[in-house]
Amino acid sequence: MPDGVPIYLDYAATAPLDPRVADLMSECLRDPALQGNPASTHAPGRTAAVRVESARGQVARLIGAQPETIVFTSGATESVNLAILGAARAAADGMRHVVTARTEHRAALDACRQLEREGFTVDWLKPGADGSVDPGRVAAALRPDTALVSLMHANNETGVINDIAAVGRICRERGLTFHVDAAQSAGKLPIDVEGTGAALLSFCAHKLGGPKGIGALYLRHRPRPALQPLQFGGGHERGLRAGTLATHQIVGFGLACELARLGLATEPARIRALRERLWTGLQAAAPVAQNGAAEPGLPGILNVRFPGVEGESLLFALEGSLAASSGSACSSATAEPSYVLRALGLSDLAAQASLRLSLGRDTTEEEVDRAARLLVVCVRRLRAALPVGAIEAIA
Amino acid sequence: MSEPRAAYSPLVRELFERLPHAGDLAPGPGTVVHGEVIALERGAWVRYEARIEDGRVADCAFRAWGCPHTLAAAALVASRMHGRRIDAEAAFDARRLATELDAPAEKLGRLLVVEDALSGMLARALALQST
Repeated sequence: MPDGVPIYLDYAATAPLDPRVADLMSECLRDPALQGNPASTHAPGRTAAVRVESARGQVARLIGAQPETIVFTSGATESVNLAILGAARAAADGMRHVVTARTEHRAALDACRQLEREGFTVDWLKPGADGSVDPGRVAAALRPDTALVSLMHANNETGVINDIAAVGRICRERGLTFHVDAAQSAGKLPIDVEGTGAALLSFCAHKLGGPKGIGALYLRHRPRPALQPLQFGGGHERGLRAGTLATHQIVGFGLACELARLGLATEPARIRALRERLWTGLQAAAPVAQNGAAEPGLPGILNVRFPGVEGESLLFALEGSLAASSGSACSSATAEPSYVLRALGLSDLAAQASLRLSLGRDTTEEEVDRAARLLVVCVRRLRAALPVGAIEAIA
Repeated sequence: MSEPRAAYSPLVRELFERLPHAGDLAPGPGTVVHGEVIALERGAWVRYEARIEDGRVADCAFRAWGCPHTLAAAALVASRMHGRRIDAEAAFDARRLATELDAPAEKLGRLLVVEDALSGMLARALALQST
């Protein structure tokens, strides 16, 4: 367990703040001209509001939307909650059915469980063996009283991409509200929100090099979905999200979106090549398997399992050398096997022998090679101590 | 998550890093006995092997699948078996191991697997001696 900075392969949990974003935010916090409340009508307030609206435009451009469709929130979790709870509660009388998937992020799962407590019925769709949700299953689950369909664009643990355009078409044909959780895909894949058929789309800053604590909910302009706010007090963000806007956070979010948008032409291919290099390097630790389909998938996520290797021991062996995740950051806190991997049909032991490696902006070939070598050494060392037959029995 | 959730004592860290006596016994004189407990549902699988000479453990090795506490406990016990009489009073019960390794309470079940594998091996050695 060497000292020093660990190789960071946990971009799906959060991306390190881009120094250019940090500089702009710092400048914004210090600038005397930007200390006003953006909701105030005096000059300092108006100056701050101009910066906020400029950033709103940058955020909107990342997903091909108009600025007025963007509502700022505290992050993707709040956006998802506002979308799911807000849309379901605002639905017409008798519309008490929601469709989602078992592999959604906890933000969506817990919001849907809350709806169940409020009397809604939720259909929890099971993904296929490749990890994606079949649009045909979504169509089959719809009922006359369906109020909302909520699906993630790309899975946070496996990187598997759902065909949201197909689901969006189905929802649009039936006049249903469709929410897309794009926390992992925004800034990593090109998104034309109009083309997805989504009425609502959630994403945040910290997955793409922006600050933590700021996110956005896209709200389609026409037809605009009905939405009940979750908090009250001041009528900010067109009455949908009360609270003073954090100018520096929003400005940082805007720049992060702008940088991500400009990088879309080259970064996905570069990161995909790094992921393939990592996967190739890990073959020296065979048997090794990939969880979820590699394609279509996010360029930067590689979810691998090492049969016979105990998850806690693997993480401990990597301590101080490699920052990765045994599941999503949120579910790892419970030390339970990943519910996403279990939904894909993996046993508890197989899920625990899995590791999510996620690459991003600052990942280099040298880091990927070092990470692969490190993993191979750790896996071989743990396997060398296994009882005979354990790999087969545990796999 | 980038770090394991459980806290690990310095002794667990040291043993986990070296895993002394992991693997197979070196060839040598004496009788070889083993004890093995497979408890995947409890998160542990431990196998001990020892070479017995004149009623004493001449060499001891282990193989194990489990968390860092399980591996460290298995290694610690294997280290201390060397030279011990096979009919000596058991000194490696799970609770003592948990205390020595500063293991959290939820790991006790896994340390019992270590204890049971060792007990099984010693019982075989005693049975062989009596015949």
